[in-house]
Amino acid sequence: MACNYKTVSLPCVGKVIPIEPLTQNINLNYRSSKSYTKTLSSSVSVEKNPIAGKFGNFGGKFVAEVLMSPLAELEAEFNSVLVDDEFQMEVATALRDYVGRETPLYYAQKLSDHYKNINGEGPDIYIKREDLCHGGSYKMNNVIAQAILAKRMGRKSVITATSAGHHGVAVAAVCAKFSLDCTVVIGTKDMQRKPSNVQLMELFGAQVKPVDGGFQAAASESVREWIGNLEIGYYLSGTAVGPHPIPTMVREFNSVIGKETRKQAIEKWGGVPDVLVACIGTGCNALGLFHEFVGDKNVRMIGVEGGGGGGGHLHSATLARGEVGVYHGAMCYLLQDEEGQVIKTHSVASGMELPGVSPELSFLKDTGRIECYTVTDQEALDAYKRLCLLEGIVPALEASHALAYLEKLCPTLPDGARVVVNCSGTGYNDANTVLSSIPINES
Amino acid sequence: MTKQSTSLSEEKAPADQSAVLRPDSLGRFGKFGGKYVPETLMHALSELETAFQALATDLDFQEELDCILKDYVGRESPLYFAERLTEHYKRANGEGPEIYLKREDLNHTGAHKINNAVGQALLAKRLGKERIIAETGAGQHGVATATVCARFGLKCIIYMGAQDMERQALNVFRMKLLGAEVRAVHSGTATLKDATSEAIRDWVTNVETTHYILGSVAGPHPYPMMVREFHAVIGKETRKQALEKWGGKPDVLVACVGGGSNAMGLFHEFVDDKDVRLIGVEAAGFGLDSGKHAATLTKGEVGVLHGAMSYLLQDDDGQIIEPHSISAGLDYPGVGPEHSFLKDIGRAEYYSITDEEALEAFKRLSRLEGIIPALETSHALAYLEKLCPTLPDGTKVVLNCSGRGDKDVHTAIKHLQV
Repeated sequence: MACNYKTVSLPCVGKVIPIEPLTQNINLNYRSSKSYTKTLSSSVSVEKNPIAGKFGNFGGKFVAEVLMSPLAELEAEFNSVLVDDEFQMEVATALRDYVGRETPLYYAQKLSDHYKNINGEGPDIYIKREDLCHGGSYKMNNVIAQAILAKRMGRKSVITATSAGHHGVAVAAVCAKFSLDCTVVIGTKDMQRKPSNVQLMELFGAQVKPVDGGFQAAASESVREWIGNLEIGYYLSGTAVGPHPIPTMVREFNSVIGKETRKQAIEKWGGVPDVLVACIGTGCNALGLFHEFVGDKNVRMIGVEGGGGGGGHLHSATLARGEVGVYHGAMCYLLQDEEGQVIKTHSVASGMELPGVSPELSFLKDTGRIECYTVTDQEALDAYKRLCLLEGIVPALEASHALAYLEKLCPTLPDGARVVVNCSGTGYNDANTVLSSIPINES
Repeated sequence: MTKQSTSLSEEKAPADQSAVLRPDSLGRFGKFGGKYVPETLMHALSELETAFQALATDLDFQEELDCILKDYVGRESPLYFAERLTEHYKRANGEGPEIYLKREDLNHTGAHKINNAVGQALLAKRLGKERIIAETGAGQHGVATATVCARFGLKCIIYMGAQDMERQALNVFRMKLLGAEVRAVHSGTATLKDATSEAIRDWVTNVETTHYILGSVAGPHPYPMMVREFHAVIGKETRKQALEKWGGKPDVLVACVGGGSNAMGLFHEFVDDKDVRLIGVEAAGFGLDSGKHAATLTKGEVGVLHGAMSYLLQDDDGQIIEPHSISAGLDYPGVGPEHSFLKDIGRAEYYSITDEEALEAFKRLSRLEGIIPALETSHALAYLEKLCPTLPDGTKVVLNCSGRGDKDVHTAIKHLQV
C-alpha cells in the first residue's frame, strides 16, 4: 500500500519535522477486543503492538522533545488506572450519577417504519441516546474520566482547546465539579460563531483565553501553556487526534458506549448489532461505539463524514478524501494541500470541521474494517428535521450526518437487520442554525 | 372569577391526615380541587377519570409506559450526591446536612415535564383521541407536548400567549420542527393564563376528538391526581435510591412550586412518612411586598381558577393578579389544589425566594457542581441558604433538580452582570 507522506508544520512548536515513510507492511496485529467483562468499570486489554501508540502505520508521537516525558508520564498513569479498581469505581459512579449513564438503546419505531419497503420489510433502527448525557453529548464520558485522572495525578489546573466550544463547555463544567482551575483556549473566529458557549464556560468559572485564528491556533497555544505549567497543569484533550497516549485514552474513556450497546443488544434481541453507524469528526464518538465490536467480524461499521456543500464546495470528509500526514502529533488521514498545509474545511455541523481524524480510524479504514461515506449539509439538515418529526428527538447536526446516511443504507439491508445509530448529542441548540438555513418565505 | 366562600369551607382538616383520600371521589383534597367547569366538559372529565383508574390494573399500559420512561425519557434519573454544594453548607465545625440532587434535568427534553406528557399521550391513544391540545408559557411544556405527539403520531396544537411567542421565538420554532401547530392568543395579557383559558375553550368545542394535556397538577379533577401520578415515579425512584445509598429515607425534600407538578412528583411517595419534611419554594419575584411575585401559597387567597378551588393571586374583585417571576415556569397565579391542602393541614411548608436569590443560586450550582439548573429549580436551591444552617449534622436533603438551565443562561447572565 503506497503511503504518501508530506511534511507538516507541527502546531505545538512551529517546527517542520520531515516524516520518514514507515514500513509498508501493514501489520494486522490490531489487538483483539475480547476481554470485556460484565461491569461498566472493567478494564481493557493491553495494547499488543510493541511500538507504543501505533495502529499499523498510524498514530505515534510526532512531538517536540519537551513533550516526550509528560506524555510518557500520562501513558504510565493511564495504563495503571486501567487496572485500578478504585479509579474504575470512581469513574463508574460519576458516569452513573453525574453524567446519567447508562444511556438507553432506543428502538425508533417510526423511523424504522419510514424505511420499510412496500412489502413491509426493512431494518430495525435503534438509537444509542448519547444526547441524554449531562451536557447534552457523549463528550462528558471522556472529560469526566480524564478529570478524575488529573486529580489522581495531583494536578490542580486543566488546560484545553476547543473549536466550536462544546468540548470547552464540558471541561469547564467538570472542572467546576472537581474544583480544578480551568483555562479554555478558543480561536476568535470560533468565539464569534458560538458566543453562547463562551458564556457557558465563564458561568462555570473557567478562564476563557482567546487567540487569533481558529482551532489550530487554539490547540498550539494550549499546548504551549501546558508546556509552561507541566507540574500542576493537565492537558485535557477532547479529540481522538493527538500524540500517544491521547487517541487510546479518548477511545477507552468513550468505549463505555459500545460496552453498554453490547449488553443492551443482548437484553433486547439476544444478539449483536448487524450494522453500527456514527458520524465522524475526529472520530471520538464513532470509536466509542465501534471499539467494542471491532473483533466481531459480522458487525458492519459505517462512519459518516461531512460532505459540506457537496460537489466542489468545501467539506470535511477527511477519511473519504484526505491523505496521510501528521497532524497534532499523530500520523493519520488529514485534509491537506499539495504543500502539506492543512486546508480550510466546512460543515454545517461545527464539530465535524477538524481537518484531521483519529489514527485508529485511519487504520480501520485502510484495513477495510470500517466503511466511510459522506453526506452533504442539506442531507444532514433534512435528517435533523426527519428525526424531530418522526421520533420527537432533536439530534445534533453532527449526529444528523449519521442519520442522513440511513436514507442510502436502509434500502440495501435485509428485512430485520439491526442497525444501531449513535445519536452523539442533542441538537436543541442547533435550532438557530436550522432556522437560518430555511429560506425566508418557508419559515 | 369571584371569591368563593362555599359550603365546603366549613370542613375542617381531619386530625389523622393519612386517612384523608387524596383526592376523594369528587376530586377534592379537603375543600380544595373539585371540578368547576362548564357542563360540556363534565362527561370528558369523567371519561378521563374512568380510563385513568382502569390503568392501575392494566399491565400492558404499565409495561409500555415503563419502557418509554426507560428508553425514550432516559429514566431512572440519578440521585446525585452534590459534594461541593454540601461542603459549601458545612459550618465552621465541619457539620452540616448532605445534599442530594434528583436529576430530572437529565430527562429527554431537559425537565420533569416529559414524565406527565408521555403518560397522558399514551392515555390519549387508549381513549382513541387523535388530537392533542396544550397551553404553554415560555414553551417548555409546549416543547414536551410537541415531542410526545411526534413520537406517538398525534396531531398537536399548542396555545401560547402572543407576548410569550415574541419572547420565545426559538421555542416556537422548535415546536414547529416537532410538527406542532402553535396558535397565538391575543386576549387578556396574552400570557400563560390566557393561553390556558383558550385551550380550555378549544377543549369544550372539540371534546370528542381531543385530549387536553395539562402541564401541571392544577385544573379540574382528575388532572391534579393524574399529573401527580405520572410524576410520582420521581419519588418512587428516590425512595429506592435513598435506600441503596444510605439505607434510609430522605429527611427533607425540597422542590420549587409553580403549578406544583415536580414537587408533587417528589413529595407524593413520602406524604405518609411523617418523619420526612416537605418544603415547597415559590417565586417571590421582586419581593413579597412589591406586588410583583408569584407566591400563591404565601400571599394568595382561596378561589377558583381553571376548574379547581385552590389558593390564587386575586384582587378584591376576585380578578387574577398578573404574577411575576424571572422564571417563566413559576410565573403562574394559581397552584395545584393538593399543595393548598398540604399547606392548610401543615403537612408541607411553603416559602418563597426572590428573583435575585434565585439568580445567585443559579450561579452557585454552576460554579460548584458544573450543573446549570433551570431558573425554576434555582428557587429551590436558593432556599438551601436559609434551610441548611438550621439542619443537624448529616441530615439527608433531597432537592428536585426539576430542569436544566441552558434555556435560561442568556437571561441569567444579563441580570447577573447588571
